[in-house]
Amino acid sequence: MSQYIPTASGTVGPFFPPHFFRPGDNDLTIVEPGAAVAAGLRIHVFGYLFEAARLPRWNSIIELWQADGGGRFAHPNDPQAALADPRFIGWGRCASETDGYFDFVTIKPGGFDDPVAKARRAPHINLSITGSGLMRRLTTTLFFPDEPANAADPVFTAVTDASLRPRLILQPASSDKAPPGTRSYRIDIVLQGEGETPFFVD
Amino acid sequence: MNLPNTFEPYDDATQPAMTVTDYSETSTRVPKNQLYRRPLTLTEITGPTRLGAKLKPGDNDLSHPYPQQPRAMGQLIRVAGRLMDEDGQPVRGAIIELWHANAAGRYIHPMDAKNSAPIDPNFVGSGRVATDAAGRYEFLTIKPAAYPYPNHPTRWWRPPHIHMSIFGDGFMSRLVTQMFFPGDPFNDIDLILNAVPDPRGRARMIARQVPMADMPVLNVVGFEHDIVVRGHRQTPFGM
Repeated sequence: MSQYIPTASGTVGPFFPPHFFRPGDNDLTIVEPGAAVAAGLRIHVFGYLFEAARLPRWNSIIELWQADGGGRFAHPNDPQAALADPRFIGWGRCASETDGYFDFVTIKPGGFDDPVAKARRAPHINLSITGSGLMRRLTTTLFFPDEPANAADPVFTAVTDASLRPRLILQPASSDKAPPGTRSYRIDIVLQGEGETPFFVD
Repeated sequence: MNLPNTFEPYDDATQPAMTVTDYSETSTRVPKNQLYRRPLTLTEITGPTRLGAKLKPGDNDLSHPYPQQPRAMGQLIRVAGRLMDEDGQPVRGAIIELWHANAAGRYIHPMDAKNSAPIDPNFVGSGRVATDAAGRYEFLTIKPAAYPYPNHPTRWWRPPHIHMSIFGDGFMSRLVTQMFFPGDPFNDIDLILNAVPDPRGRARMIARQVPMADMPVLNVVGFEHDIVVRGHRQTPFGM
């Protein structure tokens, strides 16, 4: 029972300050320029954001949140927080470009035995989208291909229409924007219409 | 430190509708399919604890962005308040980003390039702070003006408002919201504010004016605006 009602969400609108984005905000592998690189497999995650009629949705903000390479979070709610990689914050953001393009460099997250849902989590990345026309954020979760743990992951299987689950799986892809030594994965996010991405109740 | 670890789905009555009539952008960007209910796991009940390394705070005077130049044009205001969770506990060290239009109702943003209202060369309109040990934040800025939504069929004017992007203690405490000013006639017809059905939810988006006698300086109008992000603190799971 809430004592205080959470403040209502409101759209981020079209005017989020461009200078709030700094180089490196979409690179989760280092905390800040010159810092040590986080442990694990460096990957490049990119894609395109679309609205209805497959029109590119630009000027929207995409945020990532994920575990480190060992499947841990540097947060008091993770019983294994003390073992989390100190070089990894787990968060990044970027704005979608004119053609809807967005990308991140990150570490492939580890899976973990989840003490809350009491289930095995497959490697995954949580994603939030805010922007003009979105009164509340949209959230979803991205998974990796060829991960046997996907099949029993409690969030993956929360998409009850199993035919839609592949839309949450990152696809190996080539990209000329991938930093040297990283493997690229692509995921297109469709806010509405054909190929619509499954989103979760926030 | 004990942080919120229990998060319930939002009450739709106190949150805005996703699709808003006459706010046309909502019609092409809101999913048509159902949203799926997910169980919460560690990923949802945790969040970045060192975000300040990426989003550096310390910029809370929007009224005077260029020290060598005059202050921005407009009525000086102080916007301050407490960031708390649903139990009323302070959210400490949280990053709050804030942005708003100038005193003529124009944003410093490429998306507002066709706005005929003047740019103030002494105003940028954005700032970022971290909440203190009591969960408090404070900004000094100038009061934004209302502005018309371009080419709107019903002549929608946005009331003066301040955008806020707030990073609570976890993924489920993330909040992007707007703060409104008390008593503004445009509040009653704003499509964003009034997309929240429950009057208690709307009331929480409107700041309270501080009595002038309680302000430490003469030339600043004070507004107090407490913000509640989702989350309760309960016994840690399995303990």
